[in-house]
Amino acid sequence: MHIPDGVLSPEVCVGCGVLSASAVGYSLYRLRDSLADRTVPLTGMMASLVFAGQMINFPLPGMPVSGHLIGGVLCASILGPWAGCLAMTLVLVVQCILYADGGLLALGANLLNMAVVNAWGGYAIWTVARSLFGKHPRGMVSAAVAAAWMSVMASAALFCLEFRLSWPGTEFDFSRIFGLMVLLHALIGIGEALITGSVLRFVLAHRADLIQMAPQASASIPASVGRFVVAGTMAAFVAAAFLSPFASEWPDGLEAVAERTGFNELQRTPQAFFLDDYALPGLPEQWSPLSVSLAGLLGVIVVMFLAWGFGKAWKMTMYSAKATDGR
Amino acid sequence: MAGNFWDRYAREASVCHRLPTGLKLALTLTVILVGCFVPVEHWPVHVMLLSVVFAGQSLAGIPLAYLVRRLALFLPMLLILSLSLPLSHGGEAGWRMASTILLRGVLAFTTMLWLVNVTTTDVLLVTLRRYGMPGIVVATLAFMYRYLFLVWDERDRMIQARQARTFGKPTIDQRWKSGTQLIGMLLVRSLTRAERIYGAMCARGWNGTVHHWEPDADSPPSSERKAGSSDAR
Amino acid sequence: MRIRRRLQNGKRVHPMPVDETPSGSTPPVDETATGDVSPADSPIAESAPAESPWAIQVRQLNFVYPGGRPALNDLTFDVRVGEIVAIVGPSGAGKSTLLMHFNGLLPSEIPRRSDRAAASVSIAGIPVVRENLPDIRRRVGFLFQDPDDQLFCPTVGEDVAFGPLNLGCSQTEATARVIESLTAVNLADAISRSTLQLSMGERKRVCLAGVLACRPEILALDEPFSNLDPRARRNLLDCLRRFNGTLVLTTHDLDVVVEFCTRVVVLDNGRLHADGPPAEILANPALMQRHGLEIPFRLRT
Repeated sequence: MHIPDGVLSPEVCVGCGVLSASAVGYSLYRLRDSLADRTVPLTGMMASLVFAGQMINFPLPGMPVSGHLIGGVLCASILGPWAGCLAMTLVLVVQCILYADGGLLALGANLLNMAVVNAWGGYAIWTVARSLFGKHPRGMVSAAVAAAWMSVMASAALFCLEFRLSWPGTEFDFSRIFGLMVLLHALIGIGEALITGSVLRFVLAHRADLIQMAPQASASIPASVGRFVVAGTMAAFVAAAFLSPFASEWPDGLEAVAERTGFNELQRTPQAFFLDDYALPGLPEQWSPLSVSLAGLLGVIVVMFLAWGFGKAWKMTMYSAKATDGR
Repeated sequence: MAGNFWDRYAREASVCHRLPTGLKLALTLTVILVGCFVPVEHWPVHVMLLSVVFAGQSLAGIPLAYLVRRLALFLPMLLILSLSLPLSHGGEAGWRMASTILLRGVLAFTTMLWLVNVTTTDVLLVTLRRYGMPGIVVATLAFMYRYLFLVWDERDRMIQARQARTFGKPTIDQRWKSGTQLIGMLLVRSLTRAERIYGAMCARGWNGTVHHWEPDADSPPSSERKAGSSDAR
Repeated sequence: MRIRRRLQNGKRVHPMPVDETPSGSTPPVDETATGDVSPADSPIAESAPAESPWAIQVRQLNFVYPGGRPALNDLTFDVRVGEIVAIVGPSGAGKSTLLMHFNGLLPSEIPRRSDRAAASVSIAGIPVVRENLPDIRRRVGFLFQDPDDQLFCPTVGEDVAFGPLNLGCSQTEATARVIESLTAVNLADAISRSTLQLSMGERKRVCLAGVLACRPEILALDEPFSNLDPRARRNLLDCLRRFNGTLVLTTHDLDVVVEFCTRVVVLDNGRLHADGPPAEILANPALMQRHGLEIPFRLRT
């Protein structure tokens, strides 16, 4: 979702701008090592494709709005994290400057939410998930489904955080609106996950060598630890956002769950889920670190199961399609 | 999609078009910054800025119908976003936030629209590079801009071809399947084309170093020259 | 890029030395042209470009598509400086593939000078090996069939300036070359036009200008007249006539071959089947029929 100007305060915009500028700058730096002569045509074309592909309508049952591709994980899986981040950056810049879709000041926040989280974060989750699902094509697709869903949720969660930081000191209760936002993006994320997975499956069937363009996940320990940390952080974000509506709407339910599963450290005042001033994003002081990481792990496991289920379902549809075609 | 979809009026001749691009960028940024920093209690400031921007639009020769059409596409989303705040929890704080978002959002949007319609994209890219955007980003951006319309037209043709072979209303499942196939085909074709283009670039000596052509190093800015040449026609 | 990695290496056969009688001077025959030379172990001897009368030399060139299908089969022929050669043949004969060997776009892994399997192609006496690629690319201007594959900058001026800037020209020199090349293709007033709004004929001519700006000695053109209306084709032909160098082109338009080219070679299934003046080769009904061609209107009695 593109944030227009005015939604976030200028200070938050500047902060996000600094973060995303560093991230994009780092991507460019890493691109310089890896054969920059291919970057310009490949990344530019991918950016054009994502831009054009984002306008394709996927109708939703019974609703006047339709679903659309975002494309972060798609870019990252084909181009790798650095060029993928650059491609998404270009799409957002063009949309901001030429289409006035997304504000100029808010460009930093949009880049952070969509280029960095979707492409970088999506890639991290994808590589981690790929090692769980297996290196074969089906595993790649399932991993991409998981990565797409989680990255959409993570960018929604990040947006909620940015929004909360933009309007300090008001009496406004944000939890309900955030709950709605996150639920909405959970649904949007499903659409993104399905589209990304299907497109990737198509490309694997016709031009598998295109997918291999992404630099193979480096086996070095610092790199894989780095990816796991990023993936884990995003998972924690997602889980925290997921639990937010429960925290605000159904406090009793959460307490019951807490007592049954032994999450005794969970805080008792759900209204203050997003505190006014916290030291680290997503980690309010009342929560113990243990419960947060466990919640994150729970979220990751749930999503992995979902994604595995998708992969299985597609395998069966591919199987039945082949059987009916008589191939 | 026509090649002038966004900057339809960017090749006109007016006072606004003749201003140096750097100045136009600075003006845009200033208006947006002022609008975002000034609190909504001082709404006359926002109204004044908005009227200045609208004046700039008419000065640049941008038709009102076009402005209204673009605003009509933009406003619904902004309204949903801003009105959801007071509607979900009522109270004065909610309305205050909603009005802030609406005012600032509309101001920023119309200002950007003005900037885009008084500057051609290639001049804008050159100016961005001059003010610090990395060379590879500008080169890839130029590449993207160049091929965007091609990919867009190809997508349109594929959608038309799909429609021509659809009899009756397709189900949602069919739409999703054909939509992803469309994106997949477009992706494969576009990246195959990108490979050919890479070959063409290598054939003309490309080795990864980005060079930018600066034909008018000593002459007046190209936007002025363009305005002058369009007058001559 | 993937063009290099995906396409396999051609099979390499030790080519013949450069001073053997080239097959280009044999009279037209409707059988596989065989050079009356024997294979030797030495690669193509490098000679100074200014002295060599040969623009292009091909010696027993073999090439296989990825997937195993043979594309070029033991090809041997030469092109003299100043000739205008047309390569004709049915679709899938390997014409574009052959042409791409002249600019070093194929094979995907150009051999190094030190490789045992040395170059099968030499340009102006310079063998096409990896060390010579920049020089080869400067001497041979390649025009792709689809101008959109080649016209990749937003404005005409930028696109034509791409080559000179990559060659190391200064901004002033590049600008001068841009104006010179665009004038040569009658598009001097299009210098600041957007590449998005050109007609097909204009796009082809801008591509030609972009290639001419590199000041090549040889032009290799892949189907230059396809998709052009008669006037645009005439315009392009006039531009090509003014080019002062060697021309090799592939085309299906046999009337243009008769009008414009000094020599025609017929390629089918990766082999040369005929080689000689157009008026003789293209008037041979049996030959034309055998290779999926038709006698052009101009030569029909």
